Amino acid sequence: MIHPLSLLTILAMAAVTYCTRVAGYLALRNRVLSPRARTVMEAAPGCVLIAVIAPYFVSTAPADLLALAITIVAAIRLPMLATVIVAIVATGLLRHVLG
Amino acid sequence: MEASVADYTDSMDSPADNVISPAAEPVAPSRAAEFGRGLREATPVVMGTLPYALVLGAQASQKGLSPLEMPLMAGLNFAGGSEFAAIELWTSPPQLLLIATITLLINSRHILMGAALTPFLQHLPKRQALAALFLMCDETWALGLADARRRAAAGHRHGFSLPYYFGTGTALYVVWVTFTTLGTLIGPILGNVRDYGFDMAFPAVFLVLIAGMWQGVRAARPWLVSLIVAALTYLLVPGAWYVAAGALTGMAAAWFWARPE
Repeated sequence: MIHPLSLLTILAMAAVTYCTRVAGYLALRNRVLSPRARTVMEAAPGCVLIAVIAPYFVSTAPADLLALAITIVAAIRLPMLATVIVAIVATGLLRHVLG
Repeated sequence: MEASVADYTDSMDSPADNVISPAAEPVAPSRAAEFGRGLREATPVVMGTLPYALVLGAQASQKGLSPLEMPLMAGLNFAGGSEFAAIELWTSPPQLLLIATITLLINSRHILMGAALTPFLQHLPKRQALAALFLMCDETWALGLADARRRAAAGHRHGFSLPYYFGTGTALYVVWVTFTTLGTLIGPILGNVRDYGFDMAFPAVFLVLIAGMWQGVRAARPWLVSLIVAALTYLLVPGAWYVAAGALTGMAAAWFWARPE
């Protein structure tokens, strides 16, 4: 059973989210970017990625900070799957040991 | 391998295209192979989202969402961060305007992400690009972009591989919708998955992707600006402003450092 207002809210969320997904493409699709703008666009993905995970860098739990440091080293040296496994195991263990 | 031959001759036929030497282009693998590669390479990322999906579903059931409403939200919205926020704010009946506004705020980063992806989508028909963008979330975007850059560097004419991208998107979409729904059903017996460290899979995926984009300290300076501003904003300003604040400041720094001589 779906309440009509629940359905409307979900549809509103979906519409808003899809708009954010296509806005950048529709705005830049037919533009030729200047070299300077292109440099900014090349830096943008890294800027977004690091900003999304920024909260992990200022965690107040020592176990989490230590696990993050281990994960960073792993990310530099290992492929994706190995890094994810190292990250999960290190975090799980450190939280048990350090609380 | 029909598709690969077609791609290859296509590139030979169009010398007007602004490409690296067409003769040097590696033979493209088939669509099915590319789709499979997308599914495979998304596996570690999927592992990271799976516990989140269960947790989201469990929280949704506590807030009174039905096992029908959850897959509807997960399947139509398909953006985890905003769904956690929406569930957090969910009342019965829900406040539509509040939830739509928060969704916009949290997902505003998609605008930047789509802009960064656009140079790689230029060769696609508009309809295909708009369909592909429906599946653009943090993970598919980052995987697709990193792969496009790698392929462009390897000499492929258009770095972006649409079937690869749809492979990653399909894997994430199916797992997200399935496991959020499962979460609403088994939520109460799940306990706290955070205890097992699964949440660290999320930054781990992002860190690997960032490491793959590394092009020296100079090019990485805007990232550091973004990290510092995002972290400070996260600590000082309530709400989801930190992503936009960090990313935009980082891009402004890139603009400043890229000024012509």
